[in-house]
Amino acid sequence: MTAYVVRRLLWLPVLLVIVIFITFALGTYGPGDPVEVRLGTKSNPEAVARLRQQMGLDRPFVVQFADYVGGVVRGDFGDSYRYQGRTVLELILPRMWVSAQLNLVALTLVVVIGIPLGMAAARFQGRWLDPAIVTGIVFISSLPVLITGPLFLLVFVVILKLVPSAGWGGLFDTRIIIPAVAIAVPGLAVIVRVMRTSTLEVLSQDYVRTAYAKGLTPGIISRRHVARNAFLPVLTMLGFSIAGLIGGTIIGETIFGIPGIGRLAFESIFNRDYPVIMGITIIGAATFVLANLMIDVAYTFLDPRIRY
Amino acid sequence: MKTSLRVWLLPVALSVMIVAAGCLGGSKGGRSRGTSTPGGPTPTAQSGARPQPALTPAPGAAKLATSGGTFTRLWADPPTLDPHLTSDTTSAGLVVEIFSGLVALDTDLRIIPDIAERWDVSGGGAIFTFRLRDGVKFQDGKAVKASDLKYSFERALDPRTESPVADTYLNDIVGAQDKLKGLVREVRGVRVIDERTLEITIDAPKPYFIAKLTYPTAYVVDRQNVESGPGWSNKPNATGPFKLLEWVPGQRLILARNEHFYRGVAKLDRVHYILSGGVPMTMYENNEVDFTGVGQAELDRVLNPTEALNKELVRGDPAFDVSYIGFHVDKPPFDDRKVRQAFTLAIDKETIAREVLSSLAVPAYGVLPPGFPGHNPSIRGLRFDPVQAKKLLAESKYGGPGKLPRIIMTVPGTGGTVGLDTEVILEMWKQNLGVTVEIQQTEWATFLQDLNRQRFQMFGGLGWSADYPDPQDFVDILFHSKSFNNHGAYKNLEVDRQIELARTEQDSDRRIKLYQDAEQAVVEDAAWIPLWYTGERFVLIKPYIKGYKLTRLIVPKLKDISIERP
Repeated sequence: MTAYVVRRLLWLPVLLVIVIFITFALGTYGPGDPVEVRLGTKSNPEAVARLRQQMGLDRPFVVQFADYVGGVVRGDFGDSYRYQGRTVLELILPRMWVSAQLNLVALTLVVVIGIPLGMAAARFQGRWLDPAIVTGIVFISSLPVLITGPLFLLVFVVILKLVPSAGWGGLFDTRIIIPAVAIAVPGLAVIVRVMRTSTLEVLSQDYVRTAYAKGLTPGIISRRHVARNAFLPVLTMLGFSIAGLIGGTIIGETIFGIPGIGRLAFESIFNRDYPVIMGITIIGAATFVLANLMIDVAYTFLDPRIRY
Repeated sequence: MKTSLRVWLLPVALSVMIVAAGCLGGSKGGRSRGTSTPGGPTPTAQSGARPQPALTPAPGAAKLATSGGTFTRLWADPPTLDPHLTSDTTSAGLVVEIFSGLVALDTDLRIIPDIAERWDVSGGGAIFTFRLRDGVKFQDGKAVKASDLKYSFERALDPRTESPVADTYLNDIVGAQDKLKGLVREVRGVRVIDERTLEITIDAPKPYFIAKLTYPTAYVVDRQNVESGPGWSNKPNATGPFKLLEWVPGQRLILARNEHFYRGVAKLDRVHYILSGGVPMTMYENNEVDFTGVGQAELDRVLNPTEALNKELVRGDPAFDVSYIGFHVDKPPFDDRKVRQAFTLAIDKETIAREVLSSLAVPAYGVLPPGFPGHNPSIRGLRFDPVQAKKLLAESKYGGPGKLPRIIMTVPGTGGTVGLDTEVILEMWKQNLGVTVEIQQTEWATFLQDLNRQRFQMFGGLGWSADYPDPQDFVDILFHSKSFNNHGAYKNLEVDRQIELARTEQDSDRRIKLYQDAEQAVVEDAAWIPLWYTGERFVLIKPYIKGYKLTRLIVPKLKDISIERP
């Protein structure tokens, strides 16, 4: 087990260097030039050349790449091109933290609502409640944030005046409610369907029949035998969601005025703010790898049959 | 930066807001020009144009009682708060409140003494002697001396500062060019006479020089503050009416009153800029902001006198700018003047302005905007004439619409839509000329790179606004054949000659005439299709906010705002 985890972790730097290389090459050879963007249409060739030299962008690709990787190893992700005098980490970490909190609340909603609904649908298979739950959830989840966001704003802010329309006050502020719900909604359908399918499969297993035969109550069977086993496929999905926690949602953040990472990433691409793009990519890639490792380890606790 | 990115170029983020707000009964619309555009990336924003101001100094404001309170509005993260690097409206709008310089523009756009209490002009108009006000202090209480101003000018011109605009604003000062090239340590034209007297010598008598000094490039900075490290401007020690209290990128930026301000301290306690975005109209109606621009989509509602919001509507003069469609005059079919003229004559700008743009824009037939020095109201522009357009196209070397090569107009942006006005223009070309023009949209960075390399056959979605009140800033920079910003490779030797004469012409009437003649030639050559001057601006301001003035340029104005709640 430990050897497995160590082996997986040893791969991480290799993966990151590949990720950095690809992102770096795209930035260097792709269209658009950070120097020209910074100077705008007001530039002239001398000013462009001077600033390019100042920013170190006139050096060969290999030198720039090595320099950057060296910096990252020392924990230095460089300075933003657009926000002068600000380091990349100073810009992205607070926003990732905001996105993480918001996404965590949304994910919790998805799990807390989605799993019981999925199990309920499976339990009522063949009766009207099953298709009702599935159809209802699919309908609701088909509404993108683009629709639900303004709808919620209209109902809860403009008409009912329950909460302010925009802004961020942290995890325990009322302003988190509407965006969290709007972000959670599209994720519900998937989890309900996966949970329903895997519950149905577990319900048909011999050990469940045995449990009934032993005279256990449905509640105990549900919790001890069904839920735990049916949860495994859902866990795989959650792995991706956890990795996505620090990812932003451009639309949600824009509509609700949330200072998350999504908008910064989006703007940085248009501003050719490569250090910021690189920083977000690297941290995102690392989180993805680590979250999946965590999930793989979690399997062994839920299912003793899985060993590494 | 000079070119203004039109609102229809703002990427998906903003389109999303528009769609979103559309669902809210037509809230946030497209064209809220001149106001900041929080929520959408602003790759370039136009810098404030500078008008020809009256040269009589207006009296400084008297000391006023403070009213307290916080004024809240939306804004976007400024690229910089370093006055010497400021070249965009998002930064400048904050910098003019935090920093200050020798002179300023008031809300009526007159030049007023700021750190200087007065100045004398000698040497036939080439020597300016500034007498500094007594008791001018940085926020930390340190006195501002003439040597601080000298340091600031030299720092702005130092090539290591990498100011994108020092060349534009300070190049008239004797020795500025040498400093910019890194040849000298000191700028000869800036001399400290004594602690409170500074003398600036310029290379020729230029009455508009003093107006250039109102731009942040000429503001004073604290040497110790600057030398504290690269992030100094995020903790500025400055002289303006407000000081930076807090800036959390992407969340909020808060200014607090500077108690040391020398021209009467501000009335407000704080100004809160929300940087995290939101739907502006909803936030305004929900009392989360005190101020918002009104876009086209919600204009009808707000203009309706029975609507409650109508009472909070404030109208303002437009900014100085012009938007246009550019041709590359060496690329077929636009290498034939008659083709360019035909494309210009085929557009009915009056109808588009009225029906599509809700009169938020004024049709442009020349280059220099109304109210700007040199604006020529009697310019002979190419007005809508579909018959003449068709005739010219037939007379061109291409002989008619059927023999034209493929035409692609490139516009910057990512939204997938180009704006209704552009779509109507395409339709007018199709109907009036029988020509189909294809649209290619590329995002800003790519667009800019190709624009700088003159790769476009035809390009749209661009505007131009001046940096200082002189027609040179439009006519010379945009149409001289050797200018880097002449993106369509326009070349007319007579225009070049007039522009070159105007550079050194001392008689201001003759000089203006030279520019107007050049502008007339440019219009007749159809180097551009001038499209719109910005029209009237509409904003909503809460009734308890008193003293907010809409200005055509970015000027310090928060000092006189007060909050009077019933």
